[in-house]
Amino acid sequence: MQGIDREWIVRKTLFVMAMMAVLGVLLIVFFVAREAMPAFTQAGPANLFSSAWDPAGGRYGMLIFITGTLTTTVGGLLLGAPLAIGSALFLTQMAPRRVRSFFTRVVELLAGVPSIVLGWLGFTVMVPWIREATGSPGTGILAASIILAIMVLPTITAISKDALEAVPRSYLDASLAMGATRWQTVRRVLIPSAKPGLLVAVILGMGRAIGETMAVALVIGPATAYPTSLTSPTHTLTTKILMEMGESTGVQRSALFAMGLVLLLLSMALIVLVRAVTRERREAA
Amino acid sequence: MTRRKSLGIATALSLAVVLALVLGAAGCGDKGGESPAEPEKPKLSGTLNLSGSTTVLPLAQEAADMFMDENPDVTVNVQGGGSSVGISNVAEGVVDIGNASRGLKDEEKSLGLVDHEIALDVIVVIAHKDVEVDDLTADQVFGIFSGKITNWKEVGGKDAPITVVVRDEASGTREMFDEKALKKEKPKEGAIECNSNGVMRQTVSSTPNSIGYISLGYLDGSVKALKYGGVQGSKETAVNKTYPLSRYLHMFTKGEATGLAKAFIDFVLSDRFQDEVVAKEYIPMTEI
Amino acid sequence: MSGLEVKTVEEEGLRVEVAAGLCESRDERLERVIRQHIERHKRRAAAADRAFTAATWAVAAVALGILAFIVITIFARGLGTALNPGFLFGKPQAIKEGGGIWPMVVSSFYLAALTVAMVVPVGVGAAVYMSEFAREGRVTRLVRLGADVLSSVPSVVFGIFGMVLFVVYLGLGYSLLAGALTLTLLNLPTVMRTSEEALRAVPVSYREASLALGASRWETVKRVVLPSAAPGITTGAVLAVGRIVGESAAVIYTVGIFVRKIPVSPLQPAAPMAAHIWHTYTEGALVSDWMRIANGEAAFLLLLVLALNLGARLLTRALAKKTGTVKGNE
Repeated sequence: MQGIDREWIVRKTLFVMAMMAVLGVLLIVFFVAREAMPAFTQAGPANLFSSAWDPAGGRYGMLIFITGTLTTTVGGLLLGAPLAIGSALFLTQMAPRRVRSFFTRVVELLAGVPSIVLGWLGFTVMVPWIREATGSPGTGILAASIILAIMVLPTITAISKDALEAVPRSYLDASLAMGATRWQTVRRVLIPSAKPGLLVAVILGMGRAIGETMAVALVIGPATAYPTSLTSPTHTLTTKILMEMGESTGVQRSALFAMGLVLLLLSMALIVLVRAVTRERREAA
Repeated sequence: MTRRKSLGIATALSLAVVLALVLGAAGCGDKGGESPAEPEKPKLSGTLNLSGSTTVLPLAQEAADMFMDENPDVTVNVQGGGSSVGISNVAEGVVDIGNASRGLKDEEKSLGLVDHEIALDVIVVIAHKDVEVDDLTADQVFGIFSGKITNWKEVGGKDAPITVVVRDEASGTREMFDEKALKKEKPKEGAIECNSNGVMRQTVSSTPNSIGYISLGYLDGSVKALKYGGVQGSKETAVNKTYPLSRYLHMFTKGEATGLAKAFIDFVLSDRFQDEVVAKEYIPMTEI
Repeated sequence: MSGLEVKTVEEEGLRVEVAAGLCESRDERLERVIRQHIERHKRRAAAADRAFTAATWAVAAVALGILAFIVITIFARGLGTALNPGFLFGKPQAIKEGGGIWPMVVSSFYLAALTVAMVVPVGVGAAVYMSEFAREGRVTRLVRLGADVLSSVPSVVFGIFGMVLFVVYLGLGYSLLAGALTLTLLNLPTVMRTSEEALRAVPVSYREASLALGASRWETVKRVVLPSAAPGITTGAVLAVGRIVGESAAVIYTVGIFVRKIPVSPLQPAAPMAAHIWHTYTEGALVSDWMRIANGEAAFLLLLVLALNLGARLLTRALAKKTGTVKGNE
């Protein structure tokens, strides 16, 4: 009897632990939304989703920051995704065994580099380079995109590698046996079969880029203005929140939480997208 | 079997415990304060919490250290967060003292906070070293930072576009500058924002034809300090009120300061702290 | 009379039957044209293949180059400072130059210890539930969705959430505990995933043997499954330490950015290295040697994180060898 009871208690305890992740999500959504409420009731959505950010004048528009987030993310993916998928192809198709395990470590170590360290490197080394090359202040979309490319590289590489490895060996063997070269096999067999997985990798990389804060904060500029060129400073959602949270009150503070809510919704939308792609793949298989 | 089980989770946990012990021990080792408290003073004890402006943070930390050395039974915790955080924290009673690099906003004036000015900060207009201009009138500064003047030749320099660098909106320095130098207008759109004095100095020193502003304490040879309306920003000119670009750093208490909070603020305003520490980077209250 | 001879040319998947014999010269020409065609095709394919090979190696070299560049530059600029005992064990300065970072180092480890002490039990418990107790169904789908969403939440959002809930609402103030609670949520999905992978890698036969001997499910987990999965779980925990030590956005508004005394109680504010680098970049620049301090701190932080990452792998291998169990997480 006692044994059964203990088993029951253990089971329930473990269940509660498992539900912590769900509880965490609910808490985060609840508290961020609660703090964001005044911005929606007092400033209103039309104000919040406008281009003008001027708290002193009662304007709390976040479109500049959304634009900043999207441009730096796209920039980071354009630079980072080909590099990452190339690395995954190298890992799965080209690298000799020893090189493969070495290179896997390299990617893992890259994933471990703290974002503040990368940001510091960007601020002290990369920004001056860009400054000298272009005569601009050096901070901005370009610098942020390069940093983000490095940040998303390990994520996309790791997931792409899994996707490529998930393609049955027999497909590749069949293609090679028919006399196709390795590149032909990769292009016509491997990549098409792994496409949904590669897509998932890029989407998750995108999520990483959207949420990245510190590394971007040190190289983005910042400036509360739309970017007009690759080297014009701007702001992203994350950097605006980071830099102004401590120095704002009232509706302004609430508007920053509204930006947090937008970030939350963006990353949740990406998760839904990933799930849709994965489900499609499962059904197709 | 049991021993094996402990490997995974317990390695991590014991790591935690060992670390905590090591750090605890290290913490004890650090405590040997040496300065004797004055005998006639009543012995202070308890915990004092401060939060707020990151600009005031270094000063407050220094004060806390010296105060704890004098009063070994007192613990002073200083946290950052930002001016607004400090003000709302002290109003809510979360902390005893709220630090701010700006005065109270209109909506904060009803919170029942008492202001203690602890230092005067002078803001100096700076430019890249290669800029030939030495002196700008108040109107010229207004014109440049609001975007009406865009080329150095309009103010007597060489023919080169001006790169305007300002502080971020969260900054108390920016607030003061916008109010006094920009007559509450907004700075030029697309100006580079720097989120600290250090970054401002770095940016202006490395961007040709740029102009910005920093606290006097951060001024060094890497940038050129410009006169404002013919007056060089300095301790003397700020004290005799000929130089207008300055702001106070504040500590706020809920109601009049009492007990430990009063003792701490008195210490911050004491000649010793003002002359030894505040005077290094700011203008001490003793000189005003 | 030999009749009509049929020659077969077979190359690279192309198969052409050529009628030969009637008119030798035409036949030869035809064969030559076809062979040329095939050759060209082959050459092009081979060239493309070589280009592909070169491209992937080049990409790999770039990735390696990036890591090397990061490590070499950060170390070149700061390792000299970082490994100087006067800096590493020194007291931070707010106004004067010559400050050290020891309270920040302590803060980072203290925060990591507190967080790991919370996130590992919960994460492993959740993983045990998912792999050993739960039947695949609505609950597991919900938990997986929760973990996926949680792992996608940006760290700065964790930071402002932690500030609202733990710092203000629960009144913990800026403190190690508030930060550790925030980071527990942040790291929960990864710890859950690595632990679950480690648990699932334990062969079913182990469980069956234990259950057949009359052990209950929990006893089986406790005595057989968890010990076998220990290397994988430990790797996950060490990697979590690396992430905690490197985290800054979630820490700035929950723990603090600058302290001068070593934090003793979990309820005290602290300043983990990553957050302190941010402070040094912003207001910390009041001290004239702020560049030196941030360079040194960044170098030490990177060194620590690299050591933790490499250490995790070595530990896994060592534990796997020692316990003779399956590798959970490789």
